[in-house]
Formats: sequence, structure tokens, C-alpha cells
Amino acid sequence: MLDTTALRKNLKIIIDGDPWIVVDCQFVKPGKGQAFTRTRLKNLIAGHTMDRTYKSGEKIGEQARIDECEMVFLYEQGGAYAFMDNNTYDQVELNVDQVGEALNFMTENMNVEVDFYDSMPIAITLPNFVELEIVDTEPAVRGDTVSGATKPATLSTGYNVNVPLFINSGESIVVDTRTGAYVERVKK
Amino acid sequence: MSSADSSRILALIEVRDRVLTAIRAFFRMHGYCEVTTPVMVRCPGLDQHVEALSTGSGMYLATSPELHMKRLVCDGAQLIYQIIPAFRAEEEGAHHKCEFLMLEWYHTGIGYLEMMQETEDLLRYVIGGCGSKSAGLNFPVPRITVDRLYEDAAGWKPSEQWDEDRYFLDWVQVVEPHLQKIPAVIVYDFPEALSALSQVSSSNSRICERFELFINGLEICNAYSELTDPLVHRERFEHAAQARKAFGRKPYASDDLFLKAIEHGMPMCAGNALGVDRLIMALTGTGHIDEVSLFPEDKDTCNGLF
Repeated sequence: MLDTTALRKNLKIIIDGDPWIVVDCQFVKPGKGQAFTRTRLKNLIAGHTMDRTYKSGEKIGEQARIDECEMVFLYEQGGAYAFMDNNTYDQVELNVDQVGEALNFMTENMNVEVDFYDSMPIAITLPNFVELEIVDTEPAVRGDTVSGATKPATLSTGYNVNVPLFINSGESIVVDTRTGAYVERVKK
Repeated sequence: MSSADSSRILALIEVRDRVLTAIRAFFRMHGYCEVTTPVMVRCPGLDQHVEALSTGSGMYLATSPELHMKRLVCDGAQLIYQIIPAFRAEEEGAHHKCEFLMLEWYHTGIGYLEMMQETEDLLRYVIGGCGSKSAGLNFPVPRITVDRLYEDAAGWKPSEQWDEDRYFLDWVQVVEPHLQKIPAVIVYDFPEALSALSQVSSSNSRICERFELFINGLEICNAYSELTDPLVHRERFEHAAQARKAFGRKPYASDDLFLKAIEHGMPMCAGNALGVDRLIMALTGTGHIDEVSLFPEDKDTCNGLF
């Protein structure tokens, strides 16, 4: 049984028989009172969220047994996202809620990790760093590589990131999928 | 380090310097002496829910300078303050750090109502001193009793039907979210059960003369009309030790030097403890204590949440 000390963002946990993922957790401690952890949990099957407040040390649930499988993202059709196991060629589909924020950085043919609970696909995890193409940004400013100034740019997925001034449209960059931040330019 | 990081740090060094300079100037102007008290102590306090970090050999890092500063008050010091690191194990979050900077001051001859005024004066002075506009605050800061606050936010009066579990659960779930909508407010007259070392009200024995100031729901300081009666002090220490035991925590040794000083005589006074990092958060509009730290990447290790 896990207690509040195990709570952290992205922890997957079974509460009353259902698998949940911790999407947010906050340490709260009122003056002269004991500590609490305020959490927001997302149901990994149904996709809805709930807010729960636990006293420090309180038991929360069982560690979820999640099987992870490396798969390739094939295509999206009518809100269903298809993934294929590279070894067995088995295919599975996830809905938009399950794919979640990964949509900001996922392109076709990308290798991702699909999480299975009880043989059901429930979520995906992207690699920490992915290469994506810039489709729209102001023209590059020559020579300015040190000032630290940035400008907005749109990725091929439609997501907006801030990039250094020397980046051009049509170039590819490395993005950290955990923070959504620009990391570096992809050298050709 | 990138240029963006170093310019952030330089700006923060300046903000922190302005706040600390303004605090010291305010207290100097009002006739206070700055004191220093030990960081390593034998008795780290009596709070049921505050865990001290042990340094070994029966010593701890101070969770607050309260007991030592009160000994100076008993020695006859009338106006004292200090800015000192305080340490609390198991506290890590957006508003908590295991090590944080505390401003604590004592003013003899006054009670908590005058202390409220002095706190507002300090706040106004510091806001002026760091050139931050008004930080969105209006003076005078509105005041509300704990009973009234709970009636508004949770529909019951804690002083009349005390229930500790319900009180804190409601605090976390409805009262604090309610306070987050108010730019600044002084919450006062806490239930007697949460008196710590504050004076019980002479007009109502169910409440104590204690207040906290909140800015956008963030607790900035905690202040009392200080308890002066030596017998009541002994009772509170014993009660706190039992409460810690009942909660499965080790009771701390009682502080005999402190109790002896109180028996010798403690004058009427008010004291206040203010979280300097949180004040800087409020003045700069930042949401995480790491954002006002010069070393946010140095994670403390005290079994807390990160």
C-alpha cells in the first residue's frame, strides 16, 4: 500500500480498484496544523478527473502494475489514434483524452511507449526529446546567437514554442516533451 | 549558465537586497535592536506538527528563534528583531522549504491589535522600499476573525464546536481557496486549541489573541499577544509533549532555561514571525518558493515532496 510520501506527478496508482494517474500534487500545511497533500487525479480508463486531499502519511492505494510496450504511431482517423507493435505488428487504438498532451509533439512514424493496464491501452509516453520541424516563424536574425532573446515559432504539430532568433522556418529543432521547451537546432 | 539564467539571478539578488535593507531600516527607525540567537538548539519548540532536523548529540537546527528571543525579552530587551534561517523537516512544496528565512520580532508593552498595525506599517514600508507598485495591496488591510471566515467559507464556527480534523480539512479544501481570492487579509482570534504560546482572550476563553496575515491566500506571518504566565507555559509544554506522543512523534525535551526565564518574569508583549521568502514571493507575484531562491537547483533532502 502506498502512502502520501509516494505521491508525485505522473504516479500511476490503483484507488478502489481503478487505475489513476496523478496529474497534480501540492504540499499544503496550515499554520499549527498537520500537513496535507492536495491531488488531482485522472482516471486512466474513463479519462475524468477528481480532486482528493490526503493527510500526510495516509494510505492512498496500490502501485499500479502498468505494462509498457514500444510502438510506432501510425495515423489518426476520426479521433482514434492507431499504434503498432514493431515486433508483433499488433495494432491498438487510443482516444484523444488518452493521448493527451503528447499530441503537441507526436508525429506519424514516431516511436512512443504505450502503457497497458490489464491488457488495455491507457496512455502513451513520448521520448523525452523529439525532433520536430518549424513550419512558421519570423525570418532569422543574422549573427544574434548570444543575447538569449527568443521569438515564437509554430511546430508541424501546431504547437507553439519559443526559439532563438537564428532559427528559420523549415528547420528542425529538438524539443523537451516534458516541458515543451526548445533544446537545440538539429544540425543537417 | 545561460545569459537568461544569470540575468534572472542578478535581478533576484537585487530584489532580495532591497527587501532585507527595507526591513532593517524599518526596525532601526522604530528603535529596535537586531539580535542573533543560536541556530543549533537543545529544544526546538513544542509544535505538534513541526519536525526539527536533528544534528546529533541531542541537538537540533532551530525551527524558529522564538524561545531564545523570549529569553532576551525576559532579560529586559524591549524591542528586538532578527532575520535568521529556520529549519523544518518534511516540509517541501510550492510554499515550503526545509530551510527558509524568518523575520521574527518582539515589541514589549503592546498586544496583538497594535502588532497588526505595526505589521501593516512594515509591509507598507517594505513595498515602498523595493519600488514595487502597491503589489496590488490596499491599506488598511481588512481584518476577519477565524469564526467569521469559517462561517463564510465553511458554514460553521470553530470556536463554538471545536473539531481539529474538520478544521484543518476545511482549511485545506475551502478556507484557503477562499483566501486566495483576497489580495490581503488579517485573520485573527484563533480557536484556543491552536493557541501555541499565545494569550487566551480575556473576554472569551475559547479564542486566543493570535493573527496571521495572508496575501492572495499565502500565509505571510503569524503573531500573538504573547503568553506570560509561567504556570500556563508549563501546562502548554506538557500538553504539547502528550499531543506529540499521541500523534506518534517523539516529544522534545522541555526547555528549562526558557521556563526559568519566564518564571523570573516576562513582560506583556507581542511577537511576530514572518516568512521572508514568502513576502518576496508576494511582492514579486511568484507562485513557487524556488522562484525567489538564489539556489533553486540545490534540492534539500528532508523526505519531503518535490
